[in-house]
Amino acid sequence: MEKDQILENLASAIVDGDEDMAIENAKAALGQRMDPLETVESGLSKGMDQIGDQFGKGEVFLPELLMAANAFKAAMEILKPELEAQKMKTAQPGTVLIGTVKGDVHNIGKDIVSTVLETKGFEVVDLGVDNDTLSLIQEADKAKADVIALSCLMTTTMPAQREFIEVLEEMNMRDKYFVIVGGGPVTQEWADEIKADGYGESAVQAPILVKKLLGKS
Amino acid sequence: MPNLIDFMERATSGPIVVEEDFNLKRLIPNTRKIVKEFNLEYDPDNLVPSDDDLADRLFEAAIEFAVSTGVYCDDTNRVIEFEREEIINALRNLPGGAHFGEGRERRKFVPRKPDDSRSPWCHVGTGIVASSEDIALAQVEGYGRIPQANSISIPAFNRIREMQVIGGSPLEIHAAVRAVQAGRKALTNAGRPGLPIMNLISSATTSVGTIAGSHPAFSLRHSDGWLIDFLAEMKVNFETLNRLAFVQLTGGNVGATALPILGGFSGGPAGTALVMTAYYLLGVLLFQGTYQLTCPVHFRFGCTTTRDCLWVLSVVGRATSRNVNFPDIALGYAAAGPQTKMYFYEAAAFVISSVASGYGGVQTVHPAKAVMEDGVTPLEAQFCAELTHNISSTKADRANELVKLLLEKYEDQVAIAPQGKRYQECYDLISGKPADEYRKLFEEVKDELVGLGIPMQ
Repeated sequence: MEKDQILENLASAIVDGDEDMAIENAKAALGQRMDPLETVESGLSKGMDQIGDQFGKGEVFLPELLMAANAFKAAMEILKPELEAQKMKTAQPGTVLIGTVKGDVHNIGKDIVSTVLETKGFEVVDLGVDNDTLSLIQEADKAKADVIALSCLMTTTMPAQREFIEVLEEMNMRDKYFVIVGGGPVTQEWADEIKADGYGESAVQAPILVKKLLGKS
Repeated sequence: MPNLIDFMERATSGPIVVEEDFNLKRLIPNTRKIVKEFNLEYDPDNLVPSDDDLADRLFEAAIEFAVSTGVYCDDTNRVIEFEREEIINALRNLPGGAHFGEGRERRKFVPRKPDDSRSPWCHVGTGIVASSEDIALAQVEGYGRIPQANSISIPAFNRIREMQVIGGSPLEIHAAVRAVQAGRKALTNAGRPGLPIMNLISSATTSVGTIAGSHPAFSLRHSDGWLIDFLAEMKVNFETLNRLAFVQLTGGNVGATALPILGGFSGGPAGTALVMTAYYLLGVLLFQGTYQLTCPVHFRFGCTTTRDCLWVLSVVGRATSRNVNFPDIALGYAAAGPQTKMYFYEAAAFVISSVASGYGGVQTVHPAKAVMEDGVTPLEAQFCAELTHNISSTKADRANELVKLLLEKYEDQVAIAPQGKRYQECYDLISGKPADEYRKLFEEVKDELVGLGIPMQ
């Protein structure tokens, strides 16, 4: 198979969420001794960009994004040993630690933001739901996070977003991370009040916001 | 019919899967497969479909979906599974309505059919909108003065003495109790103490708050209604089931609540319609509900008044009202807030779609996506109640024409909708009446809608 064809197939596999096709073409790329970094950036990432754009336009939804992300991960598993052997690193705009705050078990909005960030190349550490403040801080430290994204769906769990920022301040760690907030009842007004670094009304805004905070837009 | 203990047995012995696999290997593929198999297709030009074949296919598809997918229990990581026969039996045994309220306010809430000329049940107010205590009293008293109101939704309190309420803490218990007491007091002040409260208890985000606020000392009644929510999508947890156990065992009315996210795990409009219909089956079987309260919510805009959400709302209303004898309330979120023309356009589109599609009841459309504190007034409720009554003889095809006219007025503004004003900015705090400016805008919009052929007088 021609190199261009493999790259095109990889991009299509991501857009179609076709895990088998992604694996098959990742193996073909290695078989042809293609540059693994180019395979990621001109094949897989190109597909992720396309699906991300389609999501932004409302042409596809969360299931398609999740399937694309899965196909991407499957292909990366094939390519990773070669990338590591050649000491290559894919361009990675930053690490985002994301979780729903203590007392809140709603995950769908957080899942969408998490997947959208992944499609835009961010390293995402998703801690799931019902996370207490100190665990979030410990995990952010472990993950060497650049940005911490806090989600909540209920007005009664919003105070945990404020508490998180206050505790970071008390621990003299406020400057270490950008903290962004989101979720059903959260507004820009609330984000300003609790001194968050950013707020996104919808998932589509998340990568734009994070890039802006990291000075990469 | 199996009861909650039987379902707990399934929640502790059903197939064990991690949540991600439930989403990726059951929920998403089943939705996509069944949408295709039953040829469920979104039609952006036909927002209030009159297609009975589509409605019945959707209903059949939802049974297959509920049976093949089940409900995930977050606390046990197991799937509660159902058999087709038990769903059919549960539907067959429905009583066809229930009584709510006391004294002269006591009424039977019954299901309707598509194109049914009977007036729907008017559920007034917006429970999820947080209000301060003094404003909440004025809001609920104002709702009580709306003659068409059959039941009330009381606001949520999110502050106690300037402290923000923390879920699961004593503050939540205080908030739940105070909200219930304020609701009852305000209805008494309005001269209608018998009106049922049917959103119990929006200030309680945990089962502890629900149980505390329901103590007999705080004057709730069996003729009120308690809302129990599914988690999006097709999930429950012990918090949900604890609440359910309490309400069932104390003989309360369970309002099974499901707000599927359009664009979330259910995918686009067809998948969301499928999941939303399946929730009715689960509301009857798993929750053993007395009524259903439901709507789709757009994943990006946080409202129900987009073109695709209105289609979902309508097609599900037609499917369920034709096939289930179960009273339901259509709940909606508008992007725009109080004292904006856009709110009324959105609310009109929602109410017309709901009534023509056969919903048994319609709730006040929540202004400003329900996120603005004190961001609701009785005038929005009055508008929705008046239109709900006036539009009841309108057929789906005509409703479709009217909704498309309304969409022309606001569709391109959904992403940048005006937030509007808070109660204290557009109501007179002493008289409890709308400020002149708001009253004038209200009358202007009504005239405009009459010009479009919408019966507002």
